Amino acid sequence: MVAVDDFFGYQPTWCPGCGNWGIYTALKKALVELGYSPDKLVVVFGIGCSGNMNDFLNAYGLHSLHGRAIPNAIGIKLANHKLLVIAVVGDGDCYGEGGNHLIHACRGNHDIKVIVHDNRVYGLTTGQAAPTSPEGFKSKSTPLGLIEAPLNPLALALVAGATFIGQGFAGDINHLTLVFKEAFSHQGFSLVNVLQPCVTFNKVNTYQYYFQRVYKLDKDYKKNNFNLALEKALELNQERFPLGVIYQVKKPSYHEKLSPIAYLPLVEKKRFLDYNLLLKEFI
Amino acid sequence: MTFTWKIGGEAGFGIMTTGLLFSKVVSRLGYQILDHVEYPSLVRGGHNAYEVCVSDEEVYALKDEIDVLVCLNKETFYKHKARLTLESLVLYDKKEFDFEDNFQKINIPFKKILAYFNGQSVMKNIIALGASLAILGGEIKILTDLIKEQFSKKGEEVVKFNQQFAIVGYEEVKKNYSSLIKNFLTEKQEKKDYLVLSGNDAFSLGAVMADCRLYAAYPMTPSSSVLHTLASWQEKTGMIVRHAEDEISVINTALGASFAGVRSAVGTSGGGFALMVESLSFAGMAEIPVVVFLAQRPGPATGMPTWTEQGDLLFAIFSGHGEFPKIVLTPGDQKEMIKLTLKAFNLADIYQTPVIIISDMYLSEGHKSVEKEWFENLVTNYSINRGKIIQTSKFTLQIGGQGDDAKLKIRNFLRYKITDDGISEKIIPATPGYFYQENSYEHLEDGHTTEDSKERIKQVDKRKRKIRTYLSQDFHLPNFYGEKDATFIFVSWGSTKGAILMAQKELKKRGIETGFYHFTHLYPLDKEKVSLLFEPKKRYILVENNSLGQLGKILAMETGFEIKEKILRYDGRPINAKEIVNYF
Repeated sequence: MVAVDDFFGYQPTWCPGCGNWGIYTALKKALVELGYSPDKLVVVFGIGCSGNMNDFLNAYGLHSLHGRAIPNAIGIKLANHKLLVIAVVGDGDCYGEGGNHLIHACRGNHDIKVIVHDNRVYGLTTGQAAPTSPEGFKSKSTPLGLIEAPLNPLALALVAGATFIGQGFAGDINHLTLVFKEAFSHQGFSLVNVLQPCVTFNKVNTYQYYFQRVYKLDKDYKKNNFNLALEKALELNQERFPLGVIYQVKKPSYHEKLSPIAYLPLVEKKRFLDYNLLLKEFI
Repeated sequence: MTFTWKIGGEAGFGIMTTGLLFSKVVSRLGYQILDHVEYPSLVRGGHNAYEVCVSDEEVYALKDEIDVLVCLNKETFYKHKARLTLESLVLYDKKEFDFEDNFQKINIPFKKILAYFNGQSVMKNIIALGASLAILGGEIKILTDLIKEQFSKKGEEVVKFNQQFAIVGYEEVKKNYSSLIKNFLTEKQEKKDYLVLSGNDAFSLGAVMADCRLYAAYPMTPSSSVLHTLASWQEKTGMIVRHAEDEISVINTALGASFAGVRSAVGTSGGGFALMVESLSFAGMAEIPVVVFLAQRPGPATGMPTWTEQGDLLFAIFSGHGEFPKIVLTPGDQKEMIKLTLKAFNLADIYQTPVIIISDMYLSEGHKSVEKEWFENLVTNYSINRGKIIQTSKFTLQIGGQGDDAKLKIRNFLRYKITDDGISEKIIPATPGYFYQENSYEHLEDGHTTEDSKERIKQVDKRKRKIRTYLSQDFHLPNFYGEKDATFIFVSWGSTKGAILMAQKELKKRGIETGFYHFTHLYPLDKEKVSLLFEPKKRYILVENNSLGQLGKILAMETGFEIKEKILRYDGRPINAKEIVNYF
């Protein structure tokens, strides 16, 4: 039997009280409850405080560059679609530096699970405004207050074609575990935006802030309704944060539409040797 | 016998397809070719031209004179007139334009024929092919057969319709110009089977035969036809081809796939490569094999997208921040492209690091004859060498012998174990019983991030030792052509090879002996061995398609030897033999 401790690697270095602890715990719980062991999955990490989880989580891992975890995850899935492929990324990482990759991973319905640690600030670089920071946010890079409106990741993923969009809160580990389990079990692209307080650099979006503004979606919430999901996503404008599976529909994943890997994963296939099939067009 | 046939017309009217058809026709007749296309970076309008140099022997480079010029419009004549001789044949439609000059005029009433048979203007090309074949003394059958193969999917009627234009063009010449007909293209009795391959085709075939299973790219001239070719083969070869959202995604898709255990490659030109280089550095640090096909065009910035240059050599060898090993290969023609592509995939796996294959528009988009038999021998004798990358099944067996404990406990595999040759074993992710991570941060042997001084030095040294291993195991000194004792020695890399070989022949006729060092394994260089190649009393002449003499700079940096004499061309056109000969 795999236990939560089997996933425990090096001792984490996050600040005491950081939301990453909650996400880390929920992730390990979800993996154990779904029956995964460290040798049965691949996790790609971006760069940021979230990405530092690479050292704390036992698994086949690829600690990528800032912003590039998504295309790495796509490549891994294409090479071996039997693997569960998770991308652990941050809001600056995934919504800023790697924003283009997110859009195209959504529309491709690549079967990867993207967990965004959305603390609405740059933590590792010591506190600059992030794409999801609230308007007016004062930081080292925006001492006069942030001019841009915050990016709405749920709405963005929705209109870009994501087939699974979930939201969790680092302050509610049990619920977050459930959302992760739903995401990992989904066939297709999954985005889980995790609301995460940064106790050191974000004095606005604190635990207290979220406790007052998050709520769990009703049991009878219709998660396959696009318009309803968009409405839920736009509640960000009123600073209300629905938790749970905001949107989920069934659609074939990118790799399921690739005839070369209809039977065997790419990595397990026999080598192609029949070059005569190719030479005709050169004669 | 060697002659040049050239066709020109307005862009968007099928000049490229026609030129390639001509190359294939003469190839089927048993002749060898080398061709080159000129086109502007737009889809309609502007001038397109395609020239084919045909010979009984291997063709190394384009020749200066045009022997047959097919003018589908007036502009073609005036643009290329300077390369005509009094014996040159000019095919044109008197109704469209006429000229006073004293060339061999062959009037083909394209317009009249089109009107009579109700053809579209793009069919001028086929009339021109028929007429060209007639004037060069070839049989029409090979052309009508090729048309049949090309249009057979569209039905018998379309085939017949197109064939009639070829036949009419052919008959027109036979009827009116019998005295001018040459015997250049009589079908060879004993002929070899030739493949008509562009450099991009050569890379594509090499990649497939090297078991590359994932190719990612974003369209960029002159690399795009690799994307098209490999994508069109997917159902046959089983390769996955991803046209990603940008070049950053391209290389990271390939790195992900390679990490997961499949051979992967990307293709691009300078601008796209610029977007990739941060990730190239990632591949160097995380030790992920990847093959990068870099087809150069004139830069900087957008530059001249559809023309040729060797301007990215220094950029390629220095690409990526930080210090990490990378191997840069520079094939000089189609055969070397196939050979080095096969080798590149082995090297990437053996050294677990990026390998860059540099091409340019001239090599990438021009075609050359390659004997089918040569290709078959090469690929049949090729064996895949994945170095220390271990397939799952093998490794499970290996740990099976280590007692029950090994089977039960999931252990952290030492992905970056310190070794003498600098290369560590890699098991494929999801190998049971283990886990590890590959890391863009500096790391310990087990892959975990470190900032420790001693560990840093160990890993830097380990990566650096790969260069030493490569230099002793797989590096090749430049190939030498010509006379060892000659006073004049050319030095070049990549696609300038053919023009130099041709210039050497011409110079020999004039009594000037030359030698030629052609670099294909360009970086890293074994500086001791390379230094020994240069003798102070000889005259070395650097030949490059760029303005800085970039190979010269690398040689000076590595060996201290400075080549002072240079033949450099950087107007977007390939260097030709004549300008090399004229240097003397």
